[in-house]
Amino acid sequence: MSIAGIRRAGIFFAVLGLLGLGVVYWLSFFWVSTEAAQGIAQRIFYVHPPAAWTSFLAFGIAALTSAMYLWLRDERLDWAALSAAEGGMVFGSIMLITGPLWGKIAWGTYWTWEPRLTLTLLLWFIFLGYFMVRRTTDNPDQGKRYSAVVAIVGALLIPFIHLSVVWFRSLHPEPVVIKPEGPTLPGDMLTLLLTSVGVFTTLFLGLFMLRYALEGLRHELHVRARRAAA
Amino acid sequence: MSVYVRQVGTIVWKDLLLELRTKERIATMGAFAVLAGVLFNFSTDTSLVRPQDIAAGLIWMTLVFDGLLGVGRTFHLESEDGALQGVLMSPAPKDAIFLGKTISNFALLYVVALLVLGVFMLFFGLEIGSSPLAVLLALALGSLGFVALGTLFAAVSSGTRLGETVLPILVFPLLVPMVIYGAGATGRLLAGRPVAEVAGNLRMLGAFALVALGAGAALFRFVVED
Repeated sequence: MSIAGIRRAGIFFAVLGLLGLGVVYWLSFFWVSTEAAQGIAQRIFYVHPPAAWTSFLAFGIAALTSAMYLWLRDERLDWAALSAAEGGMVFGSIMLITGPLWGKIAWGTYWTWEPRLTLTLLLWFIFLGYFMVRRTTDNPDQGKRYSAVVAIVGALLIPFIHLSVVWFRSLHPEPVVIKPEGPTLPGDMLTLLLTSVGVFTTLFLGLFMLRYALEGLRHELHVRARRAAA
Repeated sequence: MSVYVRQVGTIVWKDLLLELRTKERIATMGAFAVLAGVLFNFSTDTSLVRPQDIAAGLIWMTLVFDGLLGVGRTFHLESEDGALQGVLMSPAPKDAIFLGKTISNFALLYVVALLVLGVFMLFFGLEIGSSPLAVLLALALGSLGFVALGTLFAAVSSGTRLGETVLPILVFPLLVPMVIYGAGATGRLLAGRPVAEVAGNLRMLGAFALVALGAGAALFRFVVED
């Protein structure tokens, strides 16, 4: 697909995602039943886990495309890694902001060393390092390689980090969707949660494609400027 | 294979000889260990906590900070006088250079780790517990994982304008397992618990060190290529 085509598709998915987000907000305020124990505050549930899922997906794509970039040295893989990493930071930030807000009401404390919250925090900082090494090299290619190495090492060690944190302490509720005996969430809540996951993923996909197209256009501009100079 | 071992050995020998002659890093790291012990001692209110309860965590934190101080300068001297280019252009494969650098850093950090342990035992009035070998093993495995990551990211940070200041941001998130399993094992062993209770921790520290070593050896060539 051409850069222009990816840009058009990105606009389509981003708009679709934003519209979907409006629908999810409307449904979570006016349609879905109120959870008995936590009351109205539980509605943040339709934002927090979808944001978490999307940031994990984005960081996963960033690590995968980083590894492929080091292997194949195709610039486009680096653009994809950069775009996914930025998306991961955005959705990770949403997860890290909504988590403590919900935690204050549900558990009575803003921060707990709950494994998945901790995992997102550490991923966020690993990718902060990703952007820092990327932007502080004199040679851009060096920055691309450095950041790819950071993403790959992060991806390799994340299972260890998660295991060790789980081992250290866990306060979080057990998973409520993917369990051997099937979901235990009431029907309408599950429907809305899955819708929201789909919407967040669509929004990420749109932003990802737009960011990728931007990087492609920058590259094209660079090539043309060089050609004009020569 | 024997050529590979000799290449790794040459790098180790060169680095250790350089360190023995200049004594730059070992001197600063040693002084840091003692002074950190002094400050940690005065930062502890002994009417609120028993020093031996928090000593294990402080030992590992001192090791981490001290390690960054020394490992962060792995490539400093060589890149300053351009010798790093020579090392990289030598026929030794890049992973052999990485392993050599990591082993020499490990030797340096392990000496410091023993000093840190000694300092805290002296200042905090700790007993070594019933299994000193297990304590030494935990420190060795933790140090190995640390220098593997530290050496790789020291090469990364020395290529950026931020230099060593970016090293903690790159390394700290990845050190969570080392601190959890390391401090956990050391704390229990110093409290006189049996080795069996921390066998899982030691295995995880070992696995962490292996993955870090493998990742570093595989990725180092992408960091130093031109």
